[in-house]
Amino acid sequence: MSEIAYPAELVQLLTPEGERVAHPDYDIDLTDEQYRELYRDLVLVRRIDIEATALQRQGELGLWAALLGQEAAQVGSGRAMRPADFAFPTYREHGVAWCKGVDPVQLLGLFRGVSNGGWDPLEKRCNLYAIVIGTQTLHATGYAMGIVKDGAVGGPDGEAVVAYFGDGASSQGDVSEAFGWASVYHAPVVFFCQNNQWGISTPTDHQSRIPLYKRAQGFGFPGVRVDGNDVLASYAVTRQALDAARTGQGPTLIEAFTYRMGAHTTSDDPTRYRLASDLEAWKLKDPLERMKSFLYKQQLVDSDFFARLDLDADALAARIRRACVEMADPAPLSMFDQVYAETTPLLLEQQAALGGYLAGFCDTEAR
Amino acid sequence: MVVSERVQDFRLPDLGEGLTEGEILRWLVQVGDEVRLNQVIVEVETAKAAVELPSPYAGIVTAIHHAAGQTVEVGAPIISIETGRDLAVTDMVPVLPRQDAAPGTGNGEQAGGRTANLVGYGPRSGTVTRRPRNDRGPAPDAPVDGIAVRAKPPVRKLAKELGVSLDGLTGTGVGGTVSRADVEAAVKGAVRLGVSYSVDSRETRLPVKGVRRHTAAAMVASAFTAPHVTEFLTLDMTATMELRDRVQSLPEFAGVRLSPLLFVAKALLMAVARSPEINSTWDEAAQEIVVKDYVHLGIAAATPRGLLVPVVKDADSLSLVELAHRLQDLAETARSGRTAPADLTGGTITITNVGMFGVDSGTPILVPGQAAILCFGAVSPRPWVLADGAVVARQVTQLSLSFDHRIVDGQLGAQFLSDVAAVLRQPGLALVWG
Amino acid sequence: MAVLTMAKALNEALRASMEADAKVLVMGEDVGRLGGVFRVTDGLMKDFGEARVMDTPLAESGIVGTAIGLAMRGYRPVCEIQFDGFVYPAYNQIVSQLAKIHARTKGAVRMPITIRIPFGGGIGAVEHHSESPEAYFAHTAGLKVLACGNPQDAFVMLQQAIRADDPVIFFEPKRRYWEKAEVDVNTALASACPLWRARVVRSGIDATLIAYGPMVSTCLAAAVAAQSEGRSLEVVDLRTLAPLDFPTVVESVRRTRRAIVVHEAPSFLGLGAEIAARLSEELYYVMEAPVLRVTGFDIPYPPSRLEENYLPDLDRVLHAVDRSLGF
Repeated sequence: MSEIAYPAELVQLLTPEGERVAHPDYDIDLTDEQYRELYRDLVLVRRIDIEATALQRQGELGLWAALLGQEAAQVGSGRAMRPADFAFPTYREHGVAWCKGVDPVQLLGLFRGVSNGGWDPLEKRCNLYAIVIGTQTLHATGYAMGIVKDGAVGGPDGEAVVAYFGDGASSQGDVSEAFGWASVYHAPVVFFCQNNQWGISTPTDHQSRIPLYKRAQGFGFPGVRVDGNDVLASYAVTRQALDAARTGQGPTLIEAFTYRMGAHTTSDDPTRYRLASDLEAWKLKDPLERMKSFLYKQQLVDSDFFARLDLDADALAARIRRACVEMADPAPLSMFDQVYAETTPLLLEQQAALGGYLAGFCDTEAR
Repeated sequence: MVVSERVQDFRLPDLGEGLTEGEILRWLVQVGDEVRLNQVIVEVETAKAAVELPSPYAGIVTAIHHAAGQTVEVGAPIISIETGRDLAVTDMVPVLPRQDAAPGTGNGEQAGGRTANLVGYGPRSGTVTRRPRNDRGPAPDAPVDGIAVRAKPPVRKLAKELGVSLDGLTGTGVGGTVSRADVEAAVKGAVRLGVSYSVDSRETRLPVKGVRRHTAAAMVASAFTAPHVTEFLTLDMTATMELRDRVQSLPEFAGVRLSPLLFVAKALLMAVARSPEINSTWDEAAQEIVVKDYVHLGIAAATPRGLLVPVVKDADSLSLVELAHRLQDLAETARSGRTAPADLTGGTITITNVGMFGVDSGTPILVPGQAAILCFGAVSPRPWVLADGAVVARQVTQLSLSFDHRIVDGQLGAQFLSDVAAVLRQPGLALVWG
Repeated sequence: MAVLTMAKALNEALRASMEADAKVLVMGEDVGRLGGVFRVTDGLMKDFGEARVMDTPLAESGIVGTAIGLAMRGYRPVCEIQFDGFVYPAYNQIVSQLAKIHARTKGAVRMPITIRIPFGGGIGAVEHHSESPEAYFAHTAGLKVLACGNPQDAFVMLQQAIRADDPVIFFEPKRRYWEKAEVDVNTALASACPLWRARVVRSGIDATLIAYGPMVSTCLAAAVAAQSEGRSLEVVDLRTLAPLDFPTVVESVRRTRRAIVVHEAPSFLGLGAEIAARLSEELYYVMEAPVLRVTGFDIPYPPSRLEENYLPDLDRVLHAVDRSLGF
């Protein structure tokens, strides 16, 4: 089993063994309850992911992009956001969505094929998933530019944005453009790159010859690499970057160094391109285990905390499962709705024509 | 095994990897075992990887349908689990398949007729049967407002070529459209153009254009405008044929070939002088008959481009030799296709010479705007009964005259035709009538 | 009334829109201090400030991508793409993102973004400066596509596009930028005139010429020339390419029974193809001739010394009219 050394300059507040360590630039002082809540999030998010993966294996979802291994990066950054802060996720940010209050059931619609979205982004302050990678970083930057125009930046009550993307998307032109624009317009956006080491089968060293966080320097804003399997460090670094953004200090790039423990999606077979030994090494850095160990060691939990949490997770999983299998296919004619704010004669005509056509069959109802 | 509603089959699902089947590598449970929801129960080797499948049901395993080592098609049941009332959270809803499918269809399809692929449930395979409908399919288009007559473009084209005006037709096709049959029915019985639209590959389709197209249009227009009557008369024109031989030898006729047609034309001109109404036209707008005091004589001629009717202007003012030259020029010009458009218009009466094809007679169609057309048949030796009862061989021919019955009544037609025949029988009459 | 060039009419439309709605932003390359390479945004930065008139980095994907974010934040961006041939870097953002957001969010998020694109040839430009990419966008569900053909429409339609709550790709015929006309600069027209309608700009009875953008003037000239030959041509200015106002087109062709579509863009799968298909569906029993197309060729836009051979002109239009009337 090979040892995966953490790279230099990695911000870490909790070692893989669950030891709390200090960092000169990043520190946090959480209450016991906050520690427990972070762990609870990690457990529930993992459970959502496992249940969804199982549902795909049982034929209930067309696809699932598992976040296994990335829970800490997502929960840490997600919980660092304030309610008013806006998240622009890619398609694997189930933990971020959880933190922004998106019901996990709403995530499933996209993967089950009953929706192309699932929730109201403005209400949740969390944009819909972006499947074309990197596009959302420009949306986040534009949104942050709007915050500046609204004057909602420059003080402690300022708003900020987190743009999520991955190591693969870092190669997209849109990401570089977003860096440039955010820098030029001093936009309150935090670029949160989860470097999970793989773009499907392509390793990070095929995307960049320098550590990703160092790219920020070329665009004129700070970059920092954080232990993405450390929920405390992820929280601390993101919170600080958000505070910098909301107080008018412009963007920050955070590279959360983590590992995609599962397949790219349920359609992927990672054994074709990576070593089992790497996976074993990363298992030792599991984000949940170190937090659990920390809670034990610090005696922050009572004896049945974990058992109660497991029951909650079971209940959540059961609710997701039931909601998933009961999720009805949308009415065929609904696909014409809401294509435009002001619909067009062509769509009305096609909708009516399909309705009439479907109504002609003995075995269907159009609506 | 007791089959009940509580026993659920887990069918091999689409694992999104493009597989159509999987090999059971290893069962992790056996019949009688209690399994939890999402407990890994089996490892399946697909074309791409070994995959662990979690159970979608909690309960007791009642059957395992395929042993390790067997290859199972996607959609086939692999295990049956009896779920207890208080065990499963999914016992009220069917988890798999989403749509019933016969197990083991054998073509790589899974439940719902889908084929697995890389990024989703996989494509659905096509069906070869139509879904039953409770209506009769799309209704024909509603009539178009403001358009008097509707017809498909090829039907329009046919009508145009046949000279049929769509405006006059009542459509019997779908939605009141004028069909090909409607157009053909309008033509049928009035004129036979031999137009066939059979798709029989042994037939050749000739494009109708140019002269043919115009002729067709003109003929149909005529046939449907002027009520035609045709009368026939057979005569002995031996005397005219003998006269022709004599005249041919006269010096002033050198260089021009005299045809029987020349004499028929001359006879016609003389007959017109006796019955001017035959040389007239029907003015529909004015509701008048226009009688011409000049004769522009049309001569129907077969040419490579089709039927042409070049016109000899003021033929009634020409001498025989002049007429002979004009007819000869006209024939040569027409055959070489050089007839000027101006020479094709303005005719007031026409002769068609079917005799040159060896044909005895016909029922000619009027040139539009004219009141009469004379058809001149072949001149050939025939037995002829003389006044004394003797049967001798004579040069016999048949004339037929079609006339516009609006202008020309039967008596006038008969008078005119018999006048033509009289001159041809006895050319000497020219001295009397001239 | 005022006599304005189309460029000035567009400028006035932008100015009116910015005055009417503080959320309207103008963003693009060189749109501020320079006033745009065609001066369409001239003076706007001076009057409305750098916060509302943004000289952006030279990145078209960035222009459209950040406009999407700004729209989510409640702004109403008007993006300028400097030339038609420069829109392709933004194509992904326009097609995969901008066009779909309203539908993906089931209407929760509107995208009131206008993307102005000077398009078409005829100005003797170097490559990438004379293209007609409208079909790419008209083909994309979720987008609306407009093309103005005269200064009055430029003034009214641009205001209407900016007011619309859907993303609008607004094509401006760059070779007509400097043509002058009387323009009623009453901003109330933007409320009074229907936007998503084609317009019969010349009445006739023998055939209908269907055009948009730069070809409207060409067709009007052809109709005048045809009149001297005793032919009466109707000219329809489509104005809106998506949605396409079929009723107006169909109504015209129902009367004339002959249709010729004219556009600079290549013929293959262009607007003309769609119109021809539609007319054959609607007027199958009416038309006396097949729908003909007079278009650019299916080649990369040629070097400018050849463009006169590429662009439809009066003679090519009348040649097609001859053919149509020959059926």
